[in-house]
Amino acid sequence: MLLSIALAAAGVLASRRPAAASPSQRAAALPRGPRTVKLPSPDNPLVAIRLLFQIGAADDPAGKDGMAALTAAMLGSAGTQRRSWAEVLDALYPMAAEIQTYGDKDALVFEGTVHRDNLAAFAELLAEQILTPRFADEDFTRHRQDAMDFISKTLRGNDDEDLGKQALAALMFKGHPYGHPTAGTVAGLQTITLADVRRFYASMFTQDRLIVGVAGGYPDGFPESFAARFSALPARGKPQRKVPPAPAHGGEVLIVEKDARANAVSIGHPLDITRVDDDFYSLFLAGSYLGEHRTFNGQLMVELRQKRGLNYGDYAYVENFIQDGGTTFPLTNITRRQQHFEIWLRPLAPKTTAFAIRGALFELDKLVREGIPAEGFQATREFLLHYVDLWAQDPSRRLGYAIDALIYGKDIIAELKARLPSMTKVQVDRAIRKHLDPRRLTIAIVSDDAKALRAELLSGKPTPITYDTQDTPAEVLAQDKSIAGFPLPITASRIKIVPAGVMFEK
Amino acid sequence: MTSQKSAFPFAFAEKVLGNGLRIFVVPYDSPGLVAYYSVVRTGSRNEVEPGKSGFAHFFEHMMFRGTERYSTERYNAEIKAMGADSNAFTAEDMTVFHILAGKSALAKVVEIEADRFQNLKYDDASFQKEARAVLGEYNKGSSDPMQKMEEALYDHAFVAHSYKHTTIGFLRDIENMPHQFDYSRQFFDRYYRPDNVILLVVGDVTADAVVPLVEKAYGAWARGPARPPVPVEPPQMLEERITVPWKGASLPMLFVGYRTPAFSTKSLDGPALEVLGELLFAERSRLHKQLVLDEQKVETLEGSAGRHVDPNLFLVLARVKQSQDMATVESTIDKEIARIAAQGVDEKTLGEVLSHARYAFAAQLSTPDHVALVGAEFLALDGRLSAIDEYFARLAQVTSADVQRVARTYFTPRNRTVVTLQPEAP
Repeated sequence: MLLSIALAAAGVLASRRPAAASPSQRAAALPRGPRTVKLPSPDNPLVAIRLLFQIGAADDPAGKDGMAALTAAMLGSAGTQRRSWAEVLDALYPMAAEIQTYGDKDALVFEGTVHRDNLAAFAELLAEQILTPRFADEDFTRHRQDAMDFISKTLRGNDDEDLGKQALAALMFKGHPYGHPTAGTVAGLQTITLADVRRFYASMFTQDRLIVGVAGGYPDGFPESFAARFSALPARGKPQRKVPPAPAHGGEVLIVEKDARANAVSIGHPLDITRVDDDFYSLFLAGSYLGEHRTFNGQLMVELRQKRGLNYGDYAYVENFIQDGGTTFPLTNITRRQQHFEIWLRPLAPKTTAFAIRGALFELDKLVREGIPAEGFQATREFLLHYVDLWAQDPSRRLGYAIDALIYGKDIIAELKARLPSMTKVQVDRAIRKHLDPRRLTIAIVSDDAKALRAELLSGKPTPITYDTQDTPAEVLAQDKSIAGFPLPITASRIKIVPAGVMFEK
Repeated sequence: MTSQKSAFPFAFAEKVLGNGLRIFVVPYDSPGLVAYYSVVRTGSRNEVEPGKSGFAHFFEHMMFRGTERYSTERYNAEIKAMGADSNAFTAEDMTVFHILAGKSALAKVVEIEADRFQNLKYDDASFQKEARAVLGEYNKGSSDPMQKMEEALYDHAFVAHSYKHTTIGFLRDIENMPHQFDYSRQFFDRYYRPDNVILLVVGDVTADAVVPLVEKAYGAWARGPARPPVPVEPPQMLEERITVPWKGASLPMLFVGYRTPAFSTKSLDGPALEVLGELLFAERSRLHKQLVLDEQKVETLEGSAGRHVDPNLFLVLARVKQSQDMATVESTIDKEIARIAAQGVDEKTLGEVLSHARYAFAAQLSTPDHVALVGAEFLALDGRLSAIDEYFARLAQVTSADVQRVARTYFTPRNRTVVTLQPEAP
């Protein structure tokens, strides 16, 4: 791994994430007002605040993709009635505090961590942002243009891994409320007006959609008084839009064509379970075995990178996963009502792409047909029992997990710790067979030569690998033959090539 | 020992073994958790031989390729059994291996880390496969224009010093890595030695628990041979300007590197450059307000000085919305630098910068892993954790006159390299 040379490495004056302690957790609805989560740790000098609205890209009105994210930006990174955005930044600066805003399909989050010296001032600013937005023309122009530039310039041209992931999401959830990027589409953003944003805010940012969370070394009574401020929001708004089951697109392949040295690959299908369901936890173990994020132990990582040197990393997930900043762990509060299974193959040399896709499908097929190996089951169970202790080390992440638990009705950390000791291989195998189906997979690839790749995938012929390295062990070479000829669930009518330049246009 | 008013507000213990290995132990209130960092004071800065760029980073990968006692599979199985978060990173001045695990795993962590640092053993086949994983890492970054811009900036900003190449190295050298097996053994022999490594342990531990384990596991490790000197870079005499083409979509970008001095706890120049970076490029700065908020010519504006063993660069990045605004953006930045050089900064603003620095640094010390990360950087640069407090003491001494002086000294056209990215697609 490389430590970025550029600006992130600069240091002292850059802000990072805050501290840990042991909390007691309580979630409750105030007599009037939003739900609250409190995690006190009196000795901690830092306080984390999270505001989660159960609003997301799934709520974007038809033809206005990006509305939820743009509205969130107009709250979290724009002026208030009392202060311009420049004045807000001025006020935040001496505290080294930031209001972080992020969103997903079913959630928008505004969060920040400050030293308790500055809690009152920071809380005032954050409340102002949410309760009395300025909705200034200049903020709207900036945020809408930035969102369009993100789609049309940055996503299409600067980050093939993210482009591949977003392409897979669009393919898996075509025709579904999750089927467009959270940031929106170019055409959707172009149609959104400031009046639309005002209306969306008025109808959606309501108390019944809000969870207020506070963690760390806050003074007595702070969470209650802070949460009570949000009683100023309307009590109820539009009911949350229903999310239908994801449609079936199994076997579809999308090749995004653009200039690229290497091919980014994402593979996946929707799942019919979330953290609410018992099977999720068994499937979670299977996903960890197949490819725990950024570890060296996953089956895909061992087979594709370690033994064959095909790329930098290969991972698997059984729910939406976005890495949290400089950690290995998932961002919290990206809860979803519809989850998906995903395999992520980091960029591959064009000549080995077809082989690597076959390699990943070969491993998945083996897992589904044969179940998890007994040794792998035991090792992964032991791993997770310890690994979950690392997920929530500081107040902000602890709070994130506590809010997730409130939404799902189940705390993933507590559930895994309770379930893993008695979980059996039989349960895991049953969950794998029931919920992972290679026939339902869709594949997204970012590639420089889409036509050649398409022809290779459709040829019906094996795609053997020729190593430019020496002394590959005989057992690897033998298995390579099986992988090279592994059947691909792909037909000509279901491979589509799209130039990157039109991706997410509408 | 440090006081509560210190920037680094933790008591810590230091021990030096007879072979030169230094150990720092920082007890931290993180019940049950320990961060174990092995800091190798070697990075891409030490890649002084032709054709060997990227080797420190490559070698970071090779450190996961096993010993006679702990094969790759067994090492990974041990890490998995601990449920640890384990990885490594390489930068210009350091290679850092880190494990975050439960306290009960500490003895095993010491054992397996001591083993691989002393007894690494891999065959040519696994060496070559790992070389291709490194190429995969290069490929991963290749769709980001910053990779190309950094390559161009450093290649032109330096003539003699090994900062001329980025940490991942020149592509031609990465592609040739499978053929460098013999050199890799030399690299290990040269740099993975106790007098070039510092251990930093942070968390629910005491020195009494850690030091005996380390003495036993690392005590027989022999000091290394003399290491090749790193070339000294001559002063820059002329401005360099490079345009990097980009096929496909992107915002145009302006990327500037001003040559800056080496890290020091004695000089005020480094801290003054950090303050100047805040004045120029923080989100509340005049430039940000003008270019990002008011005129909306720039999507992202950043600038800061890094800390390095040898003189390096102060970096400025502007992601510009329209190509035709590139020149205006650059001249606007130049004018603001000139304004601060001429007028300095008022006491109130300077106080706010120092307040920001203090709270931002405190926020970085929020978990044992984060404390270790911060500590590792200073250990790689200076060899002492006390360097953190010394550096922050200097920062607190920075005056308006210091800021003016460093603005005039370092922010001159002949001391800079300017890279622009011009996308070919609209």
